[in-house]
Amino acid sequence: MSELQLNAVVKTFGATTVLQGISTNFAGGTVTAIVGDNGAGKSTLCKTIAGVYHPDSGEISLDGLKLNNLGPHETREAGIEMIYQELALAKQHDVVSNLFFGREKTRWLGWLDRKAMMEQSQIVLDTMGIALPSLKREVGLLSGGQQQAVAIARALLFSPRVLIMDEPTAALAVREIEHTLELIKKLKERGLIVILISHRLNDVFAVSDRIIALRSGTIVADQMVHETSMQEVVSQIMIA
Amino acid sequence: MFVKQILRDMNKASLLQCLCFLIAISAFFALSSPAFITSVNVVNILTASSVIGLMAVGSTFVIASGAIDLSTAAIMALASVVCAWTAQNLHLSGLPSICVATAVGGLCGVVTGLLINLTRAPSFIITLGMLSIYRALAYILTGGIPIYGLDEGITKIAEAQWLGLSFPALIMLGGMLAGYLILTRTRFGTHTLLLGDNPAASQAMGLQVPRLRLAIFALAGCLSGLAGFIFMARTNSGDPTAGMNYELIAITAVVLGGANLFGGRAAIPGTLAGILCLGVLQNGLNLMAISTFYQTLFVGVVLILASFLRRVGPEQ
Repeated sequence: MSELQLNAVVKTFGATTVLQGISTNFAGGTVTAIVGDNGAGKSTLCKTIAGVYHPDSGEISLDGLKLNNLGPHETREAGIEMIYQELALAKQHDVVSNLFFGREKTRWLGWLDRKAMMEQSQIVLDTMGIALPSLKREVGLLSGGQQQAVAIARALLFSPRVLIMDEPTAALAVREIEHTLELIKKLKERGLIVILISHRLNDVFAVSDRIIALRSGTIVADQMVHETSMQEVVSQIMIA
Repeated sequence: MFVKQILRDMNKASLLQCLCFLIAISAFFALSSPAFITSVNVVNILTASSVIGLMAVGSTFVIASGAIDLSTAAIMALASVVCAWTAQNLHLSGLPSICVATAVGGLCGVVTGLLINLTRAPSFIITLGMLSIYRALAYILTGGIPIYGLDEGITKIAEAQWLGLSFPALIMLGGMLAGYLILTRTRFGTHTLLLGDNPAASQAMGLQVPRLRLAIFALAGCLSGLAGFIFMARTNSGDPTAGMNYELIAITAVVLGGANLFGGRAAIPGTLAGILCLGVLQNGLNLMAISTFYQTLFVGVVLILASFLRRVGPEQ
């Protein structure tokens, strides 16, 4: 099982210290929810893990491999995928182009291998039980849930070890939320480290094993789901 | 299969509307002037469109990436001037001159791309500035006087024919084919379109955005340089005033062909159709002896009409 370790991670933007020495670790086969009020540092923490931001100090490592100075591409290559709240999809492009966004399969001189990409796309969608109208359909024409599914499938295409999901259910209808939560459970069964950011505590309690509460860039609570309650988590988030 | 793919791209880029317009104006001019629908005139249209056509291929890539390049015509003029100067002073003939013009254009594209990356300013502003700089350099190098009297090997290229088509037209069509394949079949082309579709996502997905942007502007510069060579070969001169406002016509053709001016969607077949629309329009109006002042007016009307049709069309 993989292990992601954070040791005294600090991130500042100008005069504001957003992450104030975060230390924790994440184990494979578990879903860890990171909760907190707006500005608590949840998204910054996840983007720092994903290589979008570089920490000012501290250390991030995955199975012993230091990730501190890696960019998003290298971090993806190392096995860390992030699904952004806004999904980071190219909506004028088809499903296949989005699944292989930035990691297209090529034959020679950058010539695309569309056939191989189509086949691999279908395999990953079938494995995850994701049904889409067509792989050639423009992503912008899919429903919110289907777009979410494309973002999840993209993250899983290259067998990541860590999957970070930023508000995966924020813009979904009830049925689509249920489907997304089912997908998260499947990912956990596959032994992935799943980090979930969500404001929706119902969703957090439905799929998570562990909850980390952040406030002003510091961890104020770190507990297993069965050891706490929604009321307690809310008070940890809100009360200084 | 290839035709099917082109048809798919055509549909995507609203090219059908452009083709309908092309057929409609061709039919109108064919009825208005018997000289219009002759093989000589068709070759004339293609040859006359070759310079702007090549620039439009480059502009298609730039627009697909969500940027705009207003400096293409100035690069074209600078490349033609430098190429004419080297051809005269170093006694260069056809092929070396093509290399010089393309290299000058490519270098200008790299400079523009670097400036956009360094300043992070909108491409509109930077290329507007570079338009003045490149055009001014062309004037400074020549003292405002065109360089005449080039090697025969150069001018013969403009006059050469193959399969009934002029060499400039063949270069343009070759550039269109190469551009189509690069945009639709390669990683570079896909990344260009993805960058235009969602720049933030491209960054997050690990695309090397500055490097990609540099390559796109370099490619557009190379094509403008090549266009500069054709202009020079056709006019037998390196003219600093060459191609005034051609950049706007190239952009018009790209937009007519269904490209999204905000990026993410563009197709070379659409650009070709856009170029042909403008070429046919200009040629047909010439045959009808309509003043060039009115021709410019018609181009503007066509662009606005095309934008309006796209808004009310089925795709919306």
